[in-house]
Amino acid sequence: MTTRQFFLLAAATLIFATSPLFIVAVDDSLPQVTLNAENLGPRSIEELTSKVIVRDYAFAWQTMAQALEQNRTDLLDGYFTGTAKQNLTQLVADEKKTDVRVRYLDHGHKLEGLFYSPAGDAMQLRDRARLEIEVMDGQKVIHSEEVSLQYMVLMTPGADRWLVRDLEVAPEAKP
Amino acid sequence: MTGKAHRMRDILRSLAMLAAFATPAFAAEVHPPTQVTAGASFSMPSSGTGQGTLYLIGPANLSKRQVTLGGDIPVEGDEVEHAGRYTAILCTDQCVASTFYVHANSADRLSLLVHPSRVPVSDPNAISAVAFVWDAYHNLVLSPVNVKFTVNPTEHASLSEGRTTSNGIAWIGLTSAAKSGPANLEASIGNLSEVRVVQQVASDACNLRIHGSSSARKIMVETDPVRDCSGNFVPDGTVVSFTLTDAAGKTTVDVPIKKGVAKVEIPAVGRARITAASGVVTGNELDMTGGGE
Repeated sequence: MTTRQFFLLAAATLIFATSPLFIVAVDDSLPQVTLNAENLGPRSIEELTSKVIVRDYAFAWQTMAQALEQNRTDLLDGYFTGTAKQNLTQLVADEKKTDVRVRYLDHGHKLEGLFYSPAGDAMQLRDRARLEIEVMDGQKVIHSEEVSLQYMVLMTPGADRWLVRDLEVAPEAKP
Repeated sequence: MTGKAHRMRDILRSLAMLAAFATPAFAAEVHPPTQVTAGASFSMPSSGTGQGTLYLIGPANLSKRQVTLGGDIPVEGDEVEHAGRYTAILCTDQCVASTFYVHANSADRLSLLVHPSRVPVSDPNAISAVAFVWDAYHNLVLSPVNVKFTVNPTEHASLSEGRTTSNGIAWIGLTSAAKSGPANLEASIGNLSEVRVVQQVASDACNLRIHGSSSARKIMVETDPVRDCSGNFVPDGTVVSFTLTDAAGKTTVDVPIKKGVAKVEIPAVGRARITAASGVVTGNELDMTGGGE
């Protein structure tokens, strides 16, 4: 290796190691998602689909948290559609208008498969999520809480991924 | 003022400040109802005096406004149209939060997924219909609702069956009718209904029969009208493969059905055997002589 090649390689390594892309990749770890498909029906879930659901739901939460944190609706394009996307887009618009932001710190999701349509075009899941939610007005934290919430989730397949179509927090049913 | 009096005043001032900080502050609060119906206006009693800032954060909206404390704070229906968890944060010198749930209003619309749009006749559980029940604000109605599924075939009486939704979804599996033709599949709740049309088409050909005639140097072969095992005409465009075997070897010609039959002319000299097949079904064999012999 010549001296010139050595310096070029060193410079490239330095640029790569300090670039924002690299930092994002390290810091933005996906939330932990598990799926229990034991009671899922009437269609049984294919192994690949179960992996994709877990992956795409994690990406959905990651991008939702980023969209709310950074007031960016474009981040919702990847993993949301339908009512879920409309609702979150409106929420981000309200954040911009009021300068109030909601921040999620994600401690994981336990998905339970409830319904998988016979044609494979819709799946309903229950998500028991553990979250830290912070509400900020400007730079001031006005509310912070740690919660376990139950979400009812409707996902539908897109071209190369599953998209969250409906996301509703439902109160836990009392035994 | 003497030094002793100064000292006394400082002590009293310190005590007053200490008392001010040590006294528990009674922060203003709001008391929303535990459950609210989507789109319904309500009010939240509040405690405290003077002015405060109310933040209302829901699944699809976030608002911030000044409110007068000590009375009822009205919340308009359009602020709580989306089902889910809401947080009401009331801030004066400090902030206190309360949460409440908004649940879906009554069923107002149906989404109906029916698959497939074309189905062979007499196919068990080949048709699936899935109904999603929503309220007027696009919230999934999670409480149980009865959905009636009705099939209206063109030439038979309609058939109905009810299903209760589970978490907003009801579904049914259906066997296609023996007779081909369109069938309307309807899901309804009271006056609400959604309809999809399923085209039931003939199944595979059944009892494929061929007949033929010969002329100079060629053989003409034609099928009888091609029907499935229920007597429905197999759709035009379905391919029938004719195979002719003679002294020169084997010749195969694929012919689509037109107006219910498939026909072909194949060059042949001398004795020839002709067979026909459509899908996995084979027809009768014909022994003929071509070339005018």
